[in-house]
Parts: sequence; C-alpha cells; structure tokens
Amino acid sequence: MIAAAAREGRVVAALGRRALSVQFRRAQLLMPTFVLPLMLLAVIASGTSAAQGLRGFPDIASYLAFVLPGTIIQGALLAGLTSGTALAADVEFGFFDRLLAAPVRRTSLVIGRQAGTLGLSALQTVFFLAIAYAFGARYPGGVGGMLATVGLAAITAVGIGGIAGAIALRTGSLSLLQSIFPFVFVLLFTAPAFFPRELLVPALRDASVYNPLTYVVEAVRGLLAGDAALGDPWLGLAAATGLAVATTVLATLALRERLRTL
Amino acid sequence: MSVRAAPATLPVALALWRRSLNEVLRVRGALLPATIAPVVFLLGMTGQFGRLTGLDGFPTDSYMSWVVPLSCLQGAGFAGAATGSNLARDIEQGWFDRLLVAPVARPVLLVGPILGGVTRSLVPATVVLLVGLAVGAELPGGALGLVALYVACVGFCTAAGLWGVYMALTFRTQQAGPLMQQGVFLAVFLSTAYTPEVLLRGWLASVAHLNPVTYVLELARQATVRGIEPSFAHTWPGLVALAGMLAVLGGLAMLGLRRMGR
Repeated sequence: MIAAAAREGRVVAALGRRALSVQFRRAQLLMPTFVLPLMLLAVIASGTSAAQGLRGFPDIASYLAFVLPGTIIQGALLAGLTSGTALAADVEFGFFDRLLAAPVRRTSLVIGRQAGTLGLSALQTVFFLAIAYAFGARYPGGVGGMLATVGLAAITAVGIGGIAGAIALRTGSLSLLQSIFPFVFVLLFTAPAFFPRELLVPALRDASVYNPLTYVVEAVRGLLAGDAALGDPWLGLAAATGLAVATTVLATLALRERLRTL
Repeated sequence: MSVRAAPATLPVALALWRRSLNEVLRVRGALLPATIAPVVFLLGMTGQFGRLTGLDGFPTDSYMSWVVPLSCLQGAGFAGAATGSNLARDIEQGWFDRLLVAPVARPVLLVGPILGGVTRSLVPATVVLLVGLAVGAELPGGALGLVALYVACVGFCTAAGLWGVYMALTFRTQQAGPLMQQGVFLAVFLSTAYTPEVLLRGWLASVAHLNPVTYVLELARQATVRGIEPSFAHTWPGLVALAGMLAVLGGLAMLGLRRMGR
C-alpha cells in the first residue's frame, strides 16, 4: 500500500516537473502568465491611484500593495488556464493517450498536471511580490503573510487549472482553450480585484458575493497588509480550497468520461 | 513593365483582402475571442473603476462613456495585430515566399491583409459600441462624434496591422504573436485609458503625454464623452498622431519587406 502510494507520488512529481519544464523551455508561454499581469499592475497602480481620494476608500500605506492582490490572482488564473492549454495540446497531439497506456492510476495524471500548476503559480507569486517590492510596495503582514499569499494563490491556480483541465479533457481542443482566455477576466473583474468591494458599482458589488475569488483576493489583501479588516484569510482559504477540490473532481470525472468514450 | 504591373496591383490587393476575410468567414467563431475580450474589459473596468468619475477633474459622470472608445480601440488594435500573426503563419508555411516571386510590387502584398484587418476590426468596434450604449454609455457627439470614433478605430487598426507586419517580417514565426498583441495592449493602456491626464500620477502622466494613442483616444472620445465635444481642437491632435504612427510603422514594415528573401 505504502509502496503503491510512493510510486504514484513519483508519477505525480514527474508529471508536475514535466508541466513546469514545458513552460520554462518555451519562453513565449511565460509571457502571458508573468509579464501581462505585471503590465496591468503598472498601468492600474499609476492610472487609478487618484482613487485614494474617493470617500470610503480604506486608509492604506501603499496603493501599489493594495492593487497587487488583483495581479496575484490574475497570475493564478492565467497559470491555471495555461495548464489547461498545455493539457489540451497533450490531448490533441496524442501524448496524453500514450500516458493513458502507462501502468499508473488515472487520477495521478490529473493530479500531476495540477502539481505543475501549483509550482508555476508559487514561482509566479514570489516573482510578483519581489517586483512590486522593488517598486515600493511594502508588506506589513511580514513573511508569514507573504507565504500564506503564495499558498492561497497556488491553491486558486489549481482551482482554475481544474476547470481548464476538465474542458481540455472533455473537448481535447487546443483552440477552444486558447479562445476562453477573455473569460478569465470575467472572473477577475467580478471580484474586487483592484478596488474595494464597497466602491464597486452596485451591480458588480452584488455579483461579487457569488465569486469565490472575491474572498481570495480580499484575504490576500488582508494578509499582505497584516489587517484582517481588509480580508479574512480563513474565508479566503475556504474559498480557494473549495474551488480547487471541486474542480479537480470535475477534471477527474472528465477524464473518466474521456476513457469511457475512447 | 510598370505599365503592365500597374493594372495588376488592384486585383492582387483585392484578392488578398478577400483571402484574409475568408479566414474569419469560413472559420466558425473566429471573431469571437477578438470581440469578447474588449467587451469583457469594457464591463469589467466600468464595474471596477466606475466611481472614479467622482474625482475632481473627471470630464464626465459616466465612466462607461469614458471607457467605450478605449475598448473600441482595443478591439480594433487586436484585430489589426492579428494581421501580423496571419502573415507570420504564411511566412512559416512558405506561402509568403511564393507570393514574393509574383510580378507585383512588394508593398501590394501587404495592402490586402491590412485592409482585411481593418474590415475585421469594424466588428469588435461596433459590438463594443452597441454593448456600451445598451448598458448606459451616452452618445452626445452624434454623427460627427461617431465619424471621429470610427476614423480613430480604422487608423489605429492600420497602425497595429503595420506593427504586426513589422514583427512578423522581423521574427518570421507565429511565436512572435504575443509580442504583437502586447505591443497594442501597452500602447492602449499607457495612455489616458483609465483617467484623464490631470488625474494621472507619476511616470504614467509623462508617458501618457508623449504616447500618441492618448490623442487618438481624445479623437475617439468625441463620440461618447460629454466634456469632449466634437471640434477641430479635439480632432487635429488625433489625426496628426495617427499620421505619425502610420508613417513610422509603415516605414518599418517596408524596411522589413525589403529585407525578405535577402
């Protein structure tokens, strides 16, 4: 039993490593996940910083640090989507079918892909925190807050990777995965990613209650600022974990369905 | 030679224009991502930053009206940049090499695809405008304002197309696609995208002042922003900016074209 678990662990680790190395060997795949969120951060932090003058805007030390959680969650969304896109490429070009013939548990194939997503998102979040720090953002929440942020973002990326993976396994279409890119921004913009929830337009404020990313982004804001009034970390953890578990189950079911119809 | 070549110019340009249109007419849903992305940005940005109109110095109290021209330009720009991606594909697959030996002037080979991009760009620009009007944007500029908006979109799409063509001719691979798109993204957002120039802070204020897209946006905003009424004063800077962008990017594209096959 232990030997079998160890073997599956090695499979998951190998597949996770492969998922990461595919990303890093093709620099153009890293552009959207690493560079695009930072570009948006730079523009939003400078372009909307006058918003601090609005009545009801929380008293914060750094506007850059306030909008950074939106960038971190955007990165997590893109990491998850990239993972699904890579899986769709594996399905379309036949590599996934060869994996199916290997003597390993099928669920390990899904979890291995998710492990790669987790690693990519963790690296990405550390990168975002470092770049923002270099440009003046400060994190009163300390090292603990930063580590918790990395963890929350990684779990969120797994959640999105699960959705993207389920679509990839159901359809096997690389072009479909590439074209759902704009929908990622629907999830981002229906959460208080760059503005306090109280200052969102009323329709969006009402909708944001139903978006799990609302609680994740607020939790990251609270963790980095060391101020639970900005967001409850436990609520964020519950939302991210719930999303990750639900979508990994969804991806596993999609794999079963794929095997049934092969 | 020139007497015989001249009559062939128009039919060649028209044939290549029709070919580039077929790429979207014959592929179901080909225009969907390019149309949905700016709509998502339009609704998302308005939801997030709608309260910014409460700041002193904001020329309108409708943020939707402020953002509609930006999203129209964004959609048109992405449609233009796609010209470069398609050209890169033609270069990679060897089709463009065959076109180069045709007995027509080389610049004619680019006219059709860029016209195709401009035609395609009218779809996202119009859809964004209609969605914006449906959810609350105003149209105080009337017919003159609409003409200004479409001139800005067509001009910016052409500039983005030339940028994409230059990138395609330089890198000669579809992997340069993200570079083309992100060039457009940067050009659009390093401007008065979110707030007017008086409310910009720090480096972005200086960059936006120098960025020609700021003036193209002013041209486009005559349609929907109450504080920017249709007038020569709001029109000529945008037209000069467009002419400058087309001259520089057109020159670069010609340079790239001259280097092909050498």
